[in-house]
Amino acid sequence: MAQLIKVRPTKIELVKLKRRLKLSQRVQKIVKDRLSILTMEFLQAARETVNAKKRTIDAMSEAYKAMTIASGYHGYVALQKELVASEADITVTAGPRSVAGVRLPSLELNEPSGGLRGYNLTQTSSLVDSASDTSREALRAIIELAELQRGLELLGGEINRTKRITNALEYILIPSLQATIRFLAMKFEERDREEKARLKRVKVLLARKKD
Amino acid sequence: MCPQTIREDAESRYERFLEAYLSTELRLVNSGLPRARRTLAELLLEEHPSVRCSDGSDQAFKRSELQFLSGIIEESEAAELPLPILIELAGDEHEATVLCSGEVELKVLSRILNMPLRYESPGRVRIYKPQLSVVRRKLRTTTQYAFSARTGDEARLR
Repeated sequence: MAQLIKVRPTKIELVKLKRRLKLSQRVQKIVKDRLSILTMEFLQAARETVNAKKRTIDAMSEAYKAMTIASGYHGYVALQKELVASEADITVTAGPRSVAGVRLPSLELNEPSGGLRGYNLTQTSSLVDSASDTSREALRAIIELAELQRGLELLGGEINRTKRITNALEYILIPSLQATIRFLAMKFEERDREEKARLKRVKVLLARKKD
Repeated sequence: MCPQTIREDAESRYERFLEAYLSTELRLVNSGLPRARRTLAELLLEEHPSVRCSDGSDQAFKRSELQFLSGIIEESEAAELPLPILIELAGDEHEATVLCSGEVELKVLSRILNMPLRYESPGRVRIYKPQLSVVRRKLRTTTQYAFSARTGDEARLR
């Protein structure tokens, strides 16, 4: 049974309680909406994470294979010489994005402009091009996976927090407010009945006195 | 009904705290709403496209998403597409309302969902949860949720 809130049995308190109940019900509706959206986003992120993980593993394996073939063809030293010359910093654009009040990371790999590879195209074979393409693909997959995985963790934490709020509202706060409102309403009804009975009694006494 | 137990003062203090906390929760859910929306044409010109949110933070847009959007509409329409696209949730668990200020947003949604859409009421397009999931998958940073305390019926009447 819901617990009663300790309040003075006055009409003002009843009005206040009714206002609090209205606010709680409004918040409950919004929190429930938020929970359903967060759950939807979480499930979507989970599905995408599984796919991204698979893509990352495949891309890494492809990149490794392509790199092995290229180094076998050109020789490890020659390939390394070309790759050192083409070394470039990787730039990732990172920014926050908000999903129902949860700040999630948004990562995006910046592609080099003009599609330049950096190494000498005349002295290398298409095997190096292939290794370069697959490596970039692997990098893209890693960044996508990082974004999704962090988002998944944050969404999971927020779902737990929101669930606690929903439960507190649904099973503690709202029932106790409703019970207290019912209790006060019954108390006022009882007072009214007592008042009526008293008035009737006074009426009878006055009538008897008159007689 | 008669009272089982009467709470102590400490508990009523806890309740007041909970009430204040809930009011904060209301502000938190809509903290990601933009202060002002910006058009796709403007955002495409920026190095780091973003908008300022109501809580003062920034919402970053992915360039790949902006390019995807510019690919599905005419070049001239980019100046008429305000971003982020707002999706209102108003009490109904099975549907959401996309707030469309112009025909371009409707066109974008139709292209993404691959089906014709129409206005439910002026400036509002109703979509269902599975469709919402499709839209969010394609436009992760360029859409934003708006939580409303109105009921689904009230939202429909507007």
